[in-house]
Amino acid sequence: MIGSPDLVAFTKDDDFGEAYVDPCLLPEEFSVPLFTHVGNSNPWSKTSYAKFSKDFILISEFSEQVGPQPLLTIPDESKVCGTFDLNYFSLRIMSVDYQASFVGHPPGSNYPKLNFVEDSKVVLGDSKEGAFAYVHHLTLYDLEARGFVRPFCMAYISADERKIMQQFQELSSEFSKASECLKAGNRKAFANELVKKLKDLEYTRTVLHKETELQKKNSGCYSTQAIEKANELANVEKSIYEHKDLLRQITSYPNRKRKDCEFLPYDSVKPSDSSEVEQKSTSNESNPEDQSEIISSKRRPSYTPQLIKGKSAKCFDKRLKTLEELCDFYFFHQTMDQLRLIESTFRGDLCYIYTKQIDQALLKKQKITNFLFEEYKDWEEEEALKEFCGGDLIPTDNLPPISIVPDDTETLESHTSCMEGVHSKMEPETSEEGLQEAELTESSPCDLTQENSDEGADAEMKGSLSSAESGEVTGPETPLHVERPPESSASSADLQPQCAEVAGGNTVSASDSSDDNAEVPSAACSVVPECPRASYQSAIYEEGPSVKVCTDVAHKLESPVPTQSKEVKDNGVLKTGTVVQVDAACCMGQERLVYEEPSPELAQEGCADAVVKQEPQSCLQRDSTLQADLTLGATALAEGPSTGLSPFEPNPDSLSDEMSRMYLDDVSDSASFMSTSTNSDRTSSPFLYGNPLTVKQKKRAGQNALRFIRQYPFAQQAIFCLLSGRTLVVLGVDERTVRKLVNALSIFVPNLGKYGETVQPWLSSPFQLTDLQNWKLIGLHRMASPTGSSMLHSLNRYSRYISILDTDQKTLRCPPYRGALIGRMADHRTQIKRGSTYFMHVQCMLTQLCSKAFLYTFCHHLHLPISPSEDQVSVASRRTAFLQQHLGFNEEDSKMVQFLSELIKHYYLQGPSRMVSPPVFCFSYIPSFLYKI
Amino acid sequence: MSAGCPPQSPAVAKTEVPVEGECPLLAATFAYWDNILGPRVRHIWAPKSEQPLLLLSDGEITFLANHTLNGEILRSAECGAVDVKFFVLAEKGVIIVSLIFDGELKGDKNTCALSIILPQTELAFYLPLHTVCVERLKHIIRKGRIWMQKGYNIISVLTSEIVPIMELLSSMKTHSVPEDIDIKDTVLNDDDIGDSCHEDFLHKAISSHLQTCGCSMVVGSNPDKVNKIVRTLCLFLTPAERKCSRLCRAESSFRYDTGLFVQGLLKDSTGSFVLPFRQVLYSPYPTTHIDVDVNTVKQMAPCHEHTYNQRRYMRSELSALWKAASEEDVGPDTVIHTDENFTPDLNVFQDVMHKDTLVKSFLDEVFLLRPGLGLRSTFLAQFLLLLHRRALTLLKYIEDETQKGKKPFRSLRSLKTDLDLTVEGDLNIVMALAEKLKAGLHSFVFGKPFYTSVQERDVLMSF
Repeated sequence: MIGSPDLVAFTKDDDFGEAYVDPCLLPEEFSVPLFTHVGNSNPWSKTSYAKFSKDFILISEFSEQVGPQPLLTIPDESKVCGTFDLNYFSLRIMSVDYQASFVGHPPGSNYPKLNFVEDSKVVLGDSKEGAFAYVHHLTLYDLEARGFVRPFCMAYISADERKIMQQFQELSSEFSKASECLKAGNRKAFANELVKKLKDLEYTRTVLHKETELQKKNSGCYSTQAIEKANELANVEKSIYEHKDLLRQITSYPNRKRKDCEFLPYDSVKPSDSSEVEQKSTSNESNPEDQSEIISSKRRPSYTPQLIKGKSAKCFDKRLKTLEELCDFYFFHQTMDQLRLIESTFRGDLCYIYTKQIDQALLKKQKITNFLFEEYKDWEEEEALKEFCGGDLIPTDNLPPISIVPDDTETLESHTSCMEGVHSKMEPETSEEGLQEAELTESSPCDLTQENSDEGADAEMKGSLSSAESGEVTGPETPLHVERPPESSASSADLQPQCAEVAGGNTVSASDSSDDNAEVPSAACSVVPECPRASYQSAIYEEGPSVKVCTDVAHKLESPVPTQSKEVKDNGVLKTGTVVQVDAACCMGQERLVYEEPSPELAQEGCADAVVKQEPQSCLQRDSTLQADLTLGATALAEGPSTGLSPFEPNPDSLSDEMSRMYLDDVSDSASFMSTSTNSDRTSSPFLYGNPLTVKQKKRAGQNALRFIRQYPFAQQAIFCLLSGRTLVVLGVDERTVRKLVNALSIFVPNLGKYGETVQPWLSSPFQLTDLQNWKLIGLHRMASPTGSSMLHSLNRYSRYISILDTDQKTLRCPPYRGALIGRMADHRTQIKRGSTYFMHVQCMLTQLCSKAFLYTFCHHLHLPISPSEDQVSVASRRTAFLQQHLGFNEEDSKMVQFLSELIKHYYLQGPSRMVSPPVFCFSYIPSFLYKI
Repeated sequence: MSAGCPPQSPAVAKTEVPVEGECPLLAATFAYWDNILGPRVRHIWAPKSEQPLLLLSDGEITFLANHTLNGEILRSAECGAVDVKFFVLAEKGVIIVSLIFDGELKGDKNTCALSIILPQTELAFYLPLHTVCVERLKHIIRKGRIWMQKGYNIISVLTSEIVPIMELLSSMKTHSVPEDIDIKDTVLNDDDIGDSCHEDFLHKAISSHLQTCGCSMVVGSNPDKVNKIVRTLCLFLTPAERKCSRLCRAESSFRYDTGLFVQGLLKDSTGSFVLPFRQVLYSPYPTTHIDVDVNTVKQMAPCHEHTYNQRRYMRSELSALWKAASEEDVGPDTVIHTDENFTPDLNVFQDVMHKDTLVKSFLDEVFLLRPGLGLRSTFLAQFLLLLHRRALTLLKYIEDETQKGKKPFRSLRSLKTDLDLTVEGDLNIVMALAEKLKAGLHSFVFGKPFYTSVQERDVLMSF
């Protein structure tokens, strides 16, 4: 039955009686909506009426033949633009000549004059289409074009108006770089075109001259043909003068135009005359542009001049050059790379881009604690080094200007160095994937995360937070097998000092490398250890007094730290090297050797001509002769703490390149023997060995972490272990399960390292005590084999120092945790839905924890006696009181803060360089408990 | 003949605006697209400054203004829309901000442009103030369109906002807060908390300042004291927001300016400062009122309520203009409350109701660090980083829960527990920061219950 409410929906005003409109009532078009978000609109729905799915870059031209037209988009996918009318939008953005420059014959001038106009920048929008754009107008030169100019524009198109204006300066800066590159390439191409044209003209003049002479001879000076020929000759002469003048103008491109530009692709435009090319090829002072020219000139055959007919083609008969033809090949592709980088940098929601910029600015002001949980930044080490070397007490708080640095991809600054790599660009490009495969290692200590399909739906978020997602962005573009001119080498060294160092110390120079190992310099550069890790304050808990001897030895071994007693120094076992004889500490004696051995980073640094694909392994597996050699080196190191070498520092005296290579080969073999399954999960790992860890990877780990805290009721205890410096071993048969758990827990590991060095995701051999100093989270393979039993033996031996999470039994053996801090970051009842959100929450909590640790470290009157009569006990009790009463922490929470504080202290005292003193052992007699699900 | 007609002479009418000190603005123009003549400049406002930055001839100004309209022949915006265009013309060395809108002139619908022209050297100075200028000009255009519809002279309406904007830019040139603030110039450099500023007052001021999205006005009789608090509050802003904040002038007070983040205002000789209700209400965010003489802190309603009140007032104001019988009836500067359906609540500033733990613990702890060594700056950076990260996490949480706004948000309680924001003041602070990242968040989360209660109240009031 149909009731009146059902009919109401179908009623409407009929045509006869229109609804009465009060003339005093303000029409909506003159008013403002009362509610900001009416109907289905919401804070995220700005883009709902835009006809394109995501931001893109459009290049348009004002063609003299067809008017404004779109040329290409980045990304070059039709679905990106959707139903958005590119033609209409091109018409809109190109309909006005915003550069308003004069090109052609100026009054009083006989010859056409090139006007080097500045780029114009316009922000405009089409509110009806929901499209807003930053438009960068530029002019390119074309000999065939009207007035020799071709107006182009590059537009960044977004549905978010606020984004364009808020990021205006960044967009402007980045597009200016792209424009400079494009224009530089155009000037070069234009100059080359002029040279060719001049040759043609000169050839034509010669021909005409001969013909004129012939005409004169045949029919006299005043014949019609002779006069025609003479006029033609005069025109050619004039044309030659004009073209010479143009060439002079383009080659003397005013320097002032380039002074303000940070991005200088090359010095000046010089035409590629063959004679000049020869000159260049002999010159050592060649620049990248010259190189590109040399290559291009070598590739193409010498130019044969052509006769120019009197009348050129009509305007609409000729084919206008494409953008690619207007620009030098190399510069064009560099521009495209830059534009792709811009697209990936500004992709995603503004709030994430903006927060990232704010984060970067704030992180620069707190370099002292960044090593704990923050993503590694290249600038950090350099700046921190300067500061520590300069003797500043604390990093200064000058807020740096906000800049956009994309995640784990080449930075814009590195782009400059890319410009030098002309040769590499000429080679068939190796895809990033290809490089990844090439660089995959046997067992990567960085291999922390797994592919997380659950996060797939979060693509937009990821895109917004990490610019590295785009496969189009080129990787580290250090030129391969390039014969660099001295200048470019120098600039490269400036950019990547570590690379230079490696190359310098290497017997095999990059240029000598064959094609097979051509990626070596690049690989070596990418894995050079630059990690500002603090030495670990190993918090090794001990249950009983039975191991006291061991602890003493440990102290002696690791003691050269100001806090250690003099007695320890005096009893220095290090001097004698007899530690090997001490039974209880025999492992330590050997571990000492391991400790001195190079880490994979070291190995790579030491011999950059070999692609190292090995994780550090226990020395028990290695050649004894090599051990002996290394022992000497180790002893020498240990005897002289003043040498200041860290476990990550190569010893140039004791570890020659050749020795390193031997050692590495050996390690490689033993590693493959030890673990045949280490690469079983390789394909699922998004990590590259030697690549720094990124927030994006940690975010993916967040999903595993979220599952972990929901599945394991003792998750808080496990996290407590990590945050208080106690090594956590994740034991299991199934590699995938273990790796997943390691991946999940890795986000809680303080001082994870640039490459995640403190985590060993999958180990199939027994570990040693010193491994516990380097690895704070270990995934251990449970095996039913002699090796497996020896592993279990090592687990039992060190059980008092470590916590063991058994994935097969679902148990955790560790000290208890009764604090409140971890409860806030790992509550199994949490309603957080996504791993990335959970990671962000954890990041907040860890930031807070860092702040407390910083306060505790630098709080005045807390660590020193207030009066001479005050003893250490009083100071200690004051510290405890501060933690418990002032900050409200219980014993376990205090322990975490104290551990982080120790790390900060070490970092502060020893600086971010690799010259850190050996770590310190400390002990706490706390029993472990066994937790079960 | 109606005053809306353009002048018969091709000469462009010009108003010279006397401005104290250096005015970065070169000119402001009003141009329209004449259906016969094309782009045509109708009026020019030029500052009459003692220290002119750069002189542009009227011809140059006209050329530039015409340029802003040239591409607009293809305009297909919805009726009433105001589109913003921004030009950096390096060849001319100028930046132009143009607001394009449609208006009725001589009975025809015309595309019009209100533009301001600045030298290109002022780009970095101007960009942080762009939103302030644009929002203010947009509103005056709304009023101007009504004026044009009625056939009145729009120039007088536009003048009423262009002159204050010139004064604002001029004042910012001399008194804007620097991008980098030395902590030594702030209260955070005191040896101990409470040395130069009462502990509870400082806590309340910073907390409320953060709860109102970093938007505050500091009023007092002593300019040094006022500026010290202004700088202290600005420590909690981003560098761009600081450049959009203004110190107090020692000689005589500036006017209150809508849209600035923090501004110091000097009381007059009678010890009072008269706040313009309309301007305060038109601020994009709610504002905290801090009186350093009597140590009081008051704040406006949270974002969603503030926006609602603001919109209602705007509608009422535009409605009153629409109903005005003649040009003289409602002058542009006259405060109007002719809409009988709307009585604004003049008591916009309330006591700070919600205590927080975030600022409290920060203040308790920061003074434990020794001043002058940079330690406090680092600690402050950590605090700000924490706030920004928490805001983004909150935003992401809501985004996940509501599938980017497709579903209503119903899990505020879970959010508070999961993100450790159970204390109301903490939630307000983090929400305020999130609002700046994602405009309209408050209305989305809290709007519906609020609007329902308002409607219920209105219904009850109507009986």
